[in-house]
Amino acid sequence: MDNSDSPVVYMENIVKRFGTVTALDGVDFTVHQREVAALVGDNGAGKSTLIKILTGVHTPTRGQIYFEGKPVQIRSPQDARALGIETVYQDLALVDLMSITRNFFLGRELVGGLGPIRFLKLQRMNQQTRTSLSDIGIEVRSPTEKVERLSGGERQSIAIGRALHFGARLLILDEPTSALSVGETRKVLNYTLNAKERGLSVIFITHNIHHVYMVADRYTIIRHGKLVGNYLKSELTETDIADLITGVREA
Amino acid sequence: MELGASVRRATPWSHPLRRAMADSPILGPLLTLAVVFVLCAAFVPNFLTLRSISGIISAATLTGTIAIGVTLLMIAGEFDLSVGALVAVAGYLYAFNTVDGGSAGIALILAITIPAALGALNGLILIVSRIPSFIVTLGTRSIYRGLLWVLSTGALVQTLEDLPIYRLFNGRLDVLNQFAEGANFRTAVLWLVGLVIVFQWILVRTDFGSHVFAVGGNPGAAKAQGVNVKVVKVVTFALAGALAGFTGVLLFSQFKSVRVTTGAGMELSAIAAAVVGGALLSGGSGSIWGTLIGVLLISTLRTGVVLLDLPFIPADNFEAVVGATIVGATILNKWLRSRG
Repeated sequence: MDNSDSPVVYMENIVKRFGTVTALDGVDFTVHQREVAALVGDNGAGKSTLIKILTGVHTPTRGQIYFEGKPVQIRSPQDARALGIETVYQDLALVDLMSITRNFFLGRELVGGLGPIRFLKLQRMNQQTRTSLSDIGIEVRSPTEKVERLSGGERQSIAIGRALHFGARLLILDEPTSALSVGETRKVLNYTLNAKERGLSVIFITHNIHHVYMVADRYTIIRHGKLVGNYLKSELTETDIADLITGVREA
Repeated sequence: MELGASVRRATPWSHPLRRAMADSPILGPLLTLAVVFVLCAAFVPNFLTLRSISGIISAATLTGTIAIGVTLLMIAGEFDLSVGALVAVAGYLYAFNTVDGGSAGIALILAITIPAALGALNGLILIVSRIPSFIVTLGTRSIYRGLLWVLSTGALVQTLEDLPIYRLFNGRLDVLNQFAEGANFRTAVLWLVGLVIVFQWILVRTDFGSHVFAVGGNPGAAKAQGVNVKVVKVVTFALAGALAGFTGVLLFSQFKSVRVTTGAGMELSAIAAAVVGGALLSGGSGSIWGTLIGVLLISTLRTGVVLLDLPFIPADNFEAVVGATIVGATILNKWLRSRG
C-alpha cells in the first residue's frame, strides 16, 4: 500500500464551536510526506484547538480528517497515537522525578514474566534508550539519571527521541522552543530536521516566526479561527508572515 | 541545512558523597538513623540492650505496616487520612471471626478485603468529585468511624485466648527472645520486612510502580503517554486500605483488644514516617525502605528520650522531640536532595 502521493494529514473544512464561540471556522490543513509544516498564528488564533482535534482531545463540530489518504475518526489521544501521531508538549512531556529510561518507556514499558507478575526489563530498556537517542544525535551520560537534571532543550530532545523511537509517522511539536536558550533552540531545530530526514512529517506550532522560518517547508497561517492561507517557504519572508498573522496584510 | 554542531554540556560535579545521597533516596535518612543510633548508644543508659532494641522494633512495626500503603499513596500524589479508621474496622472484623470460635481464614480475608474496598471507595470519590484526597479522606475518616460506632454499638472487643493465628501474626518471637530477658521480639516484624520487600519490588521493578511514580510526578504527562491515571490511583488506594487492614490484624493479634478509637492518629504517624524517610509530600518520589527507616528513626528517638530520663525533659514530652525530628530530618533530606 503505497501512500507516497497522498498527504500524511488532510483536515478538511474543520469547524469547532464551544457553545456560542466559534474557535475554528472552516479551516483546511494539509501536511505532506517528509515535510515540516508550520502552523502559525497569534495566541488565541485557533492553532491549539486545531491540533487538539488532530490529537483526539476535541472532536470537530464539522469536518473530516484524512490520514494517509483514508478518512479516520480520532476520538481520543489513544486513537491518535495508534495512527502514529505523537505530540511533544511543553510541560506535559516528561516526569521530572523519573529517570530518562522510565520516561522513555512510560506507558510502553518492556516487561517479562507470567500472568499478573510482570517485571520490568530494565537493562534492555536502559540500553535501547541510550541507543535510540544516540541514533538521532542525543548523547546521554546515563539513562538512569533523573530528567530534572537536564536542561529544557535536552528534555525536548528526549521527548522527540521517544516519539521517533516508537515509530511516529507524524510528530507534532507544540511551542517547542518557547522557553529555550539560543543554543538549545538550535538543537531542537536540528532534531526537527533530523526527524524529517528519517521520513517523518512534522507539524511545528509556534508564534515565533524566526525559529520556524529556519526549518519549515510550508506555512499555514490562522487568524481568528479562519485560514488565512497556505504558503511555501519560497513565497514569504519573515515579515510577510508576521503581517499575515496580525492582519496587516490579507492573504 | 546544517544549524551547527551540538555541544555536550559539562556538568559541575559536587562532592561525591552528597551526590550519592542525592541519587539514592534512602542514603540520607539512613545516615541520620545511624547517627541517632550511635548517639543513643553512647549517651542513653540501657540503650544497647536486646530488650530496648526489641522494644524499638516492636513499637515501630504497626506504624511501619500502615506506612507502606501511605507511602505508596504519597508517591502517587494522594493522601488517605482514613487508614487509621480502617485499622479499627479490620480489628473488629478480625476479632468477630476469631474470638469464641470462627474461621481464621474468613477473618483474615474480611479484615483485608473490606478495608481495601473502603480504600478504593475513597479513590472513587476522589475521581468523581475531583476534590483533593486530603479533604475526601478527612471526611471518610469520620464517616467510617461513625459507622463503626453504630455497628459495634460502641462495644470494646477483647479476648484472653491465645489462638495459633494470633501467634502466627504477632506472637512472641521466642527464638530471639531467649537471648535476653524481657526482650520483646515479635513475629510481626517478619511480616513487616516481607511486605517492605514485596512493595519496594512492586514500586521499582514493575510497570505499575513506574506508573505510580509518573501519576504522582506529572499526571498530565502520564496521561499523555497512555497511563490510566484513574485506575492507578484507585488501585493504590485499595492497596493502602489492604495494608491498613493487615495492620489491624497484627494489632489485634498482639493486644487482643480493639475499640472504636483504635488506630486514631496512625495516619499522621505514617505520613511523618514517610516524609522523614525521604518521600516527597508533593508526590512522585519516595521509597518503602526509606519509610521503614523513618519509622525506626522516630521509634529510636522516642525510646532514647524515655530512657534518657532527663530532668528537664520529662518522658511525657518525648512527643516534642519526635516533632523536632520530623522537621529536622525533612530539612536535612531536602538539603541533601538539592546538592546533587
